[in-house]
Amino acid sequence: MIKKFDKKDEESGSGSNPFQHLEKSAVLQEARIFNETPINPRRCLHILTKIIYLLNQGEHFGTTEATEAFFAMTRLFQSNDQTLRRMCYLTIKEMANISEDVIIVTSSLTKDMTGKEDVYRGPAIRALCRITDTTMLQAIERYMKQAIVDKVPSVSSSALVSSLHMVKMSYDVVKRWVNEAQEAASSDNIMVQYHALGLLYHLRKNDRLAVTKMLNKFTKSGLKSPFAYCMLIRIASKLLDETEAGHDSPLFDFIESCLRNKNEMVVYEAASAIVHMPNCTARELAPAVSVLQLFCSSPKAALRYAAVRTLNKVAMKHPSAVTACNLDLENLITDSNRSIATLAITTLLKTGSESSVDRLMKQISSFVSEISDEFKVVVVQAISALCQKYPRKHSVMMNFLSNMLRDDGGFDYKRAIVDCIISIIEENPESKETGLAHLCEFIEDCEHTVLATKILHLLGKEGPRTPQPSKYIRFIFNRVVLESEAVRAAAVSALAKFGAQNDDLCFAFLDDEVRDRATFYMNVLQQKQKALNAAYIFNGLSVSIPGLEKSLHQYTLDPSEKPFDMKSVPLATTPITEQKTEIAPVATSKLPEKLAPSRQDIYQEQLAAVPEFQGLGPLFKSSEPVQLTEAETEYVVRCIKHTFARHMVFQFDCTNTLNDQLLQKLTASPTVSPVPATL
Amino acid sequence: MGLLDKLSGWLGLRKKEVNVLCLGLDNSGKTTIINQLKPSNTQEQEIVPTIGFNIEKFKSSSLLFTVFDMSGQNRYRNLWEHYYKESHAIIFVVDSSDKLRMVVAKEELDTLLNHEDIRCKKLPMLFFANKMDLQDSMSSIRVSQMLCLENIKDKPWHICDSNAIKGEGLQEGLDWLQGEVFNNKTVTLGYKGREGQVKLCSECQFTHAY
Repeated sequence: MIKKFDKKDEESGSGSNPFQHLEKSAVLQEARIFNETPINPRRCLHILTKIIYLLNQGEHFGTTEATEAFFAMTRLFQSNDQTLRRMCYLTIKEMANISEDVIIVTSSLTKDMTGKEDVYRGPAIRALCRITDTTMLQAIERYMKQAIVDKVPSVSSSALVSSLHMVKMSYDVVKRWVNEAQEAASSDNIMVQYHALGLLYHLRKNDRLAVTKMLNKFTKSGLKSPFAYCMLIRIASKLLDETEAGHDSPLFDFIESCLRNKNEMVVYEAASAIVHMPNCTARELAPAVSVLQLFCSSPKAALRYAAVRTLNKVAMKHPSAVTACNLDLENLITDSNRSIATLAITTLLKTGSESSVDRLMKQISSFVSEISDEFKVVVVQAISALCQKYPRKHSVMMNFLSNMLRDDGGFDYKRAIVDCIISIIEENPESKETGLAHLCEFIEDCEHTVLATKILHLLGKEGPRTPQPSKYIRFIFNRVVLESEAVRAAAVSALAKFGAQNDDLCFAFLDDEVRDRATFYMNVLQQKQKALNAAYIFNGLSVSIPGLEKSLHQYTLDPSEKPFDMKSVPLATTPITEQKTEIAPVATSKLPEKLAPSRQDIYQEQLAAVPEFQGLGPLFKSSEPVQLTEAETEYVVRCIKHTFARHMVFQFDCTNTLNDQLLQKLTASPTVSPVPATL
Repeated sequence: MGLLDKLSGWLGLRKKEVNVLCLGLDNSGKTTIINQLKPSNTQEQEIVPTIGFNIEKFKSSSLLFTVFDMSGQNRYRNLWEHYYKESHAIIFVVDSSDKLRMVVAKEELDTLLNHEDIRCKKLPMLFFANKMDLQDSMSSIRVSQMLCLENIKDKPWHICDSNAIKGEGLQEGLDWLQGEVFNNKTVTLGYKGREGQVKLCSECQFTHAY
């Protein structure tokens, strides 16, 4: 009967999603049939599927409606239909956090978990642990302990994995189950053993000694499960990394011995662990690399991929070791799997000699359009590394990059290319003109504001110093006319820099931000003061940006006769070089990352909040906090001295370190000691 | 529901299904009573406090009972009401040796009887004065006085002594309940479907959305 139903559904739906146009309210209305007796398992199953579908589509369920649906669902426990019951478990897990009183199903789940039906037991445990909180955990602790050592693997695994989830919530309770987990770790089932090891490790991971002990025990006794072996290798390499133990430690020997394991997964894990270790000698590296080399010619695509990916990652760190595999990597260039081929080529690019670059670049450009963005970024990064290594090859690279820039691609991909080109320009003066030309072409049709402003800033910086600045002005001017405000603002700033260098330019524009900036630069330019130009256009702002923001805000709040004084803004504490990189975002007036305000800015803000101090004017300087008491006393008092033009403010920070006392009515009575006349 | 189901229902071949709520304070013996009523091969060996509820099924001579055995603990009692609407009968269990908490039991009973899903229905109510084996237990008459059962005018009710551990008195109560469910025409039984429910609502003058 069910088969017939499915068939009909397939024909009418013609492959489209049968749940596409679900309405939440309609589904919840339908859920009322859960209350009917007798239960119709097939219909209820369908409705539960709809509810879970909606939940997973991100549909928001209000607490009341979710609770109502949940309680209706609890009635389905009276049916003995296996599929329906398991669907109920899924629903419980999905609704555990959005419905109230989910605890109501505890007894029903406990019954299923200890019952005779093995199909129910594992899923019931998982559902039960989702609805249980720390206070309730005590009530089911006994059942959990039994389940962990259950002889049915699915039950034992479910209990172990659920316990692992509970560790985050109630570590102290789960810690008491260590003996059971220990017993499960000697299970014959590979998954149970793996999960048991996982739980044991997470219970002990904060205690390095206990982890070492556990590793010793398991490396000696040996394990059946390859998954558990992989986990052991990871734990061991993490421990080696943390303790910075030498490579003569037994842990390293263990990892190396795993290279001779029968299981490929374990062998790969061990090789990858060794290759990723910092400061490995060539002799230690050799066996691991030769294993990876062997995998490169494996008929299994997954193994080839894993091997070449690992080699790719460490190609820069151990070029000589990876070069040994070059022959095998060459064979992979034509691999039918594009991901493997890409990784092979980029690895060769990183390790290969200068002579092979041309050939590899040709090879990769033949299929660059077929690979996904993620791998294209890998290619770009490889090229970027290559350019640093062989600066003379920049023309080949630049051509390739500009071709890539013209193709379709996401933001990350484009940004990688732009960054790469910029770094080439910065390191290689010869490539400047071609690079800038490519970038100019790119911004002609660029949908990413961030990249456009970045390039405009670069053009402003580099363009005026090129032999033919007028070439770039056309591109920048197009931006001013065509783009959104942020880009226009950046374009005007860039133009101004050209203008400051070559006096023959003049512009008029009409849009708020753009106009303000334009007039600002116009004024500066008209005054034709080279000094002023230098101050405002080239050096950027040497003041702290939050400080400037605040002062300007204050200035607009209470307008006074005198013009805004730039000098009243506290000077930036950040070095100028860093400041320079900030100019571009400032020009767009959209700070992507906010500068952390300096300490003084924080004080100024705090002081301004006190009404008595408002008439004191701008803060001149704040001293470092001075401790007036010992650090361990009951009340810690420290003092900060704020100097204003005509006033001095002492800020006493009094911290009460006692938990059970409340400090009230504090008074400060400063006594002025006689000052020596010489001061 | 298929035609065959309906047919077997009319001919009386299939047993009628009836939903029963089992309520009462914690430690009054609800789960033990239900456990005794189940066929002996499915009975639990040990009874632990119920958290939330359990669903149990068992047959009597002419009915198929689906019992919602609710938790009696204080913090879960407010969850009972989620299951009032679709029940056909109520079993209320009282620990007759617990004089002190008899007022609490009465309070819960009153809240139950005044609930809108219960008030207008003519549900048969079976009371078990449980734990008769204990020395200081009160008789069923005394229990019914303390709970003021005589004030229940609009519902058929019955109280009987029971000892859930031995199973004494349970069958008597169940037989009464079975008879009531059969005689009570207004109780909606599983196989009747929609017409039955509509009739029920027109009688109690409440409009429920179905």
